[in-house]
Amino acid sequence: MMSSPTLECTNIDVRFGPVRALSDVSLSLERGQVHAILGQNGAGKSTLARALSGVLVPEAGTLQIAGRDVPFGSAAATQAAGLDIVHQRFALPPGFTVAEALEFASTRKMGGLFYSKRKVEAAWQARLDQAGITVPVSAVLSSLPVETAQAIEIARALVNDAQILILDEPTALLSPETIETLFAQLRQLRDAGVTLIVILHKLKEVMALADTVSILRQGELVLPATPTSELDEDRIRDLMIGGEPSNKAAAQTSVLASGQKDLLTFAHVSSPSKGPEPGLSDVSFSLCSGEILGVAGVEGNGQRALAEVYAGLTQAIAGTIMLQGAEIQNADISARRNAGLRSVPFDRMTEGASLTLPLWENAKSWMSEAFRGATFPFVSLRAMRTEAAAGLDNYGVVYSSVEQPGGTLSGGNLQRVILARELGGDVIAVLAAQPTRGLDFGATAFVWDELRRVRQDGAGVLLISSDLDELFDICDRILVMRGGAVAGVFANTATRAEIGHAMVGGRS
Amino acid sequence: MEFLDQFTVTTLRGATPIVLAAVAGLFAIRAGIFHLGIEGLMLVGAFTAVAAGTASGSATVGMLTAILVCLLLSVLYWYLIDKLKADTVIAGLGLTALCVGGTAFAMQVLFDQRGQMASTVRLYRPITGQQEGALSFVSELTIITWVTPLLVVLAWIVLRRSRLGLQIAAVGDYPYGAEAVGVNQSRVRLYALLITGAGCAIAGTQLAIGDVAGFSENMTNGRGFFALAAMLFGGFSAVFTAFAGLFFGFADAFGIFMQINDRSGLPVQFVLLVPFILTILIVSISGYLRKKKSTR
Amino acid sequence: MNRAHAALSAVFPIVLAIALSAVLFFVTGYDVGAVISGVIEGAVTGFGSFWQTLRWSMPLLLIAVGFLFCVRAGEFNIGGQGQMMMGGLGTIVVALLVPGPVCLVLPVAILAGMIFGGLWSFLPGVLKVKLGADEVIVTLMLNFIAVLFVSWITTGPLKDPAVRGETASTPTVDAALRLSSGDGMSVTLLVLIALAVAAAWLIAERTAFGLKLRYVGEAPEAARWQGMKADRLRLWAYVLAGAFAGLAGAFEVLGPNGRLVTGATPTIGFTAIVVTIVGLSRVPGIVLAALLFGGLQAAILFLPIVSDLPSSGLKILEGLIALLITAEFIRRRRGVG
Repeated sequence: MMSSPTLECTNIDVRFGPVRALSDVSLSLERGQVHAILGQNGAGKSTLARALSGVLVPEAGTLQIAGRDVPFGSAAATQAAGLDIVHQRFALPPGFTVAEALEFASTRKMGGLFYSKRKVEAAWQARLDQAGITVPVSAVLSSLPVETAQAIEIARALVNDAQILILDEPTALLSPETIETLFAQLRQLRDAGVTLIVILHKLKEVMALADTVSILRQGELVLPATPTSELDEDRIRDLMIGGEPSNKAAAQTSVLASGQKDLLTFAHVSSPSKGPEPGLSDVSFSLCSGEILGVAGVEGNGQRALAEVYAGLTQAIAGTIMLQGAEIQNADISARRNAGLRSVPFDRMTEGASLTLPLWENAKSWMSEAFRGATFPFVSLRAMRTEAAAGLDNYGVVYSSVEQPGGTLSGGNLQRVILARELGGDVIAVLAAQPTRGLDFGATAFVWDELRRVRQDGAGVLLISSDLDELFDICDRILVMRGGAVAGVFANTATRAEIGHAMVGGRS
Repeated sequence: MEFLDQFTVTTLRGATPIVLAAVAGLFAIRAGIFHLGIEGLMLVGAFTAVAAGTASGSATVGMLTAILVCLLLSVLYWYLIDKLKADTVIAGLGLTALCVGGTAFAMQVLFDQRGQMASTVRLYRPITGQQEGALSFVSELTIITWVTPLLVVLAWIVLRRSRLGLQIAAVGDYPYGAEAVGVNQSRVRLYALLITGAGCAIAGTQLAIGDVAGFSENMTNGRGFFALAAMLFGGFSAVFTAFAGLFFGFADAFGIFMQINDRSGLPVQFVLLVPFILTILIVSISGYLRKKKSTR
Repeated sequence: MNRAHAALSAVFPIVLAIALSAVLFFVTGYDVGAVISGVIEGAVTGFGSFWQTLRWSMPLLLIAVGFLFCVRAGEFNIGGQGQMMMGGLGTIVVALLVPGPVCLVLPVAILAGMIFGGLWSFLPGVLKVKLGADEVIVTLMLNFIAVLFVSWITTGPLKDPAVRGETASTPTVDAALRLSSGDGMSVTLLVLIALAVAAAWLIAERTAFGLKLRYVGEAPEAARWQGMKADRLRLWAYVLAGAFAGLAGAFEVLGPNGRLVTGATPTIGFTAIVVTIVGLSRVPGIVLAALLFGGLQAAILFLPIVSDLPSSGLKILEGLIALLITAEFIRRRRGVG
């Protein structure tokens, strides 16, 4: 099967200012295979995908598709050459209907400069039916479940006659069962001759799906395309981490002794839905002191509502929330924080901290007694800065000045700042929402260590995560959310299948 | 009957500039630009129509020149906010301020007039001569007023059923996706702003040489901002926006009639207040409706 | 390096605007040299000019300082014009109609100005915070409404019967209540303004409120998660903005004008916004920028003596400054990716 490689890129170099995102990456792929690009968060996988698909221009390197040179930086050029990409964050405007989005994004249009809605919708409906996707094309994208939206994104690329398809972290938002469906579809595509480049960061998924794999670590290609049959998990893991401490937890000792106190109790709590996000629907559970309770579920099934009701951003319309025996559902956000309820929000860049304000303002907890060193109502900036610096140093944040803006820190560092603020001081319960998303192994390990530390000190931790591996690794119990309700609470000895089932609800 | 005629004429005549500016401004808003310069563009359109019309003796030349000037100013605005990353709102207000000062200055320099000047041309009226009965008001309507409904429909078609419309919506709502698909965001914004500029020029032309032919300093007097309010109320729909604009015309006419007839003995200022208060109400209601719908 | 870059980004657009205006004036046949020297003489060097500059900087400074609070909170409250007029209204009502000793009536009159202005700003704040009504349009409309309302007051209930002609106004305030003599500044006024500006600086930079306000403006989501009452903070920003603008109105009435006049400085609110931006949203910078624009206003009044350039010419200059001031002429350094 010696044919010219279907895709060949050589010596790709990408820089963001002083940071080298990719150095000297070369890849050569044959037709009709599933190739996985594996690496930790921050290794450069998405950067490579964006360079290949024409979104960004590398400082150096060449690209050839089916033997022909393709210029960088032009999505149109790469699409014309047969290469297309399904981004991690979906590229189709969520406010559009399916038909409008496909019409907008495809190079093959169904209508002209002006089009008739009926004709265009009928044409796209036919195309989708052909591809086996049963969705009314007049549906608005944001109202569709994640896996359907993703299927449409893939369909868009295929309609453009893509011969090489890049998928950037396609499994990130899917439940175990829908992941299987996706893999089956990808295998079908491969058998039909499409070359697939799938970017993943989970070892198990790579072994299950890929024919060949290459590994990126800190921008460098530490393993060129190699058949997965020739590799074993340990070797791959070594190459991925490269001597960094493993984040595999020591054997889990459950801290749940008998007579464990209930710390935080939700009893029949309901909250209103907000747009596509479901509200809580008669949610009841208990968080015990000294435990980490994981919250699993496909994203968009009420986890955000849970976090917001916990923190006080959203008022519950029914039910009670008790903290150490006292009702708190009517308490406002700062009262809850004063009482010891802390949160590490979902989005560290917009909800957890400010990218534009200096570190000392981000590290300071805005509670009234915290302003000291001066006469009321004035505050002492110096005292605040000193205190912030102490907190930052305590948590190992790498910084040069407390005045530098939050946006100058890396993801992991910024998370440390947030943890310094939230976990410093008396903590009774912490809600951590997707705290390790986008972080590399080292930063992830730090977050886990911190969560374990507060558990050790007797606090309770609610860990919301869409990463089942993470949940199994560090949680004592796992609660599954589906449609805004609790679909089940499991011990950490449960099987993946059980949890996966609960996540999607009885689909066989 | 005559009263109803007059009232209808005044409403339609007053509504036309606002409807045109609002529907034209919709393109900018859809592309994500809160365009506070439309007040200034309308004013420039009005002045240029009078100036060029008087100089050339033709209303058509006046209007075309107005469009040209407004297109140029729109390119300037686009360059500032797109290439030089100026703040949309402040640059928009600056554009309006520039236009207010600029038109007064030009009037002084070119025609040696201060405060106001008369126009020797008026817009063409397609239906002339006295009409009988209920439809006698149609002879008072200019060609622009007649064409406005067609323009509204055309705007709707472009925004909702054309490739450009989809691109504008994507650039405004989800620039990340537009980028990923390879749409040239800068160019799309330029097109949107050009359309807005042209529409404002036509609106200004109607205002200046539609009925009382002439230009006076700052004659738009906030109409551009009423148009913005109409846009906010009409959502992204050209048709609803047009109706909101029509409602403004109605309120305006109501104010004028109250002034003339002065039944209630209210001071003139209170009557002039009506469109401003109406705008606040409209913006509040539309804001409230949007809040109820959105996620946060 | 950052400070220098920031200062340059404020100065360059102004210089460019001046250059463009000069070219325009030259091309349309005005004596540019006379204009420039006239401006300088009117603003600084002429007899009593600097005092005039101060007089015209005062309202700009106060409105801009108030506007700063809203900017910090991420709100675009452009109602300074209307808030100032309503403040003046409150002041004149107290000054004319409330009897009592000066030491009582004067502070009450000033306070009334601040309260009226604060309320006129509170309204759009509430509409924005509770109903999501766009504050740009609402404050703009309220400006128009305030102008009309004051126009009614000065031609109706509080009309000064002695005054004929175009400018309607109320009767003059009792001389004992005046903070400065007609059309000018006084040391008293200067001191009061300095105190007000100092107070604003302290509130904005050295109180928990000011710091939280900035946080709410920069990172509203994060502010909520950390327990800050964003809505309440924003409303206070509106109230403060209105109070300072109202104070400007009070000083105008009790100071240079001595009365409430219609049609005075119709675009002052907008100019105040430009002042805030040119001042880089920092109180010291705003003071300098206010002096610049106040000087320009003084020059506009002086210019007809030495040049036939119409006042709209200098208005063009102001518009150009606003248009160019936020543009990035120098490419910002690319941050870490």
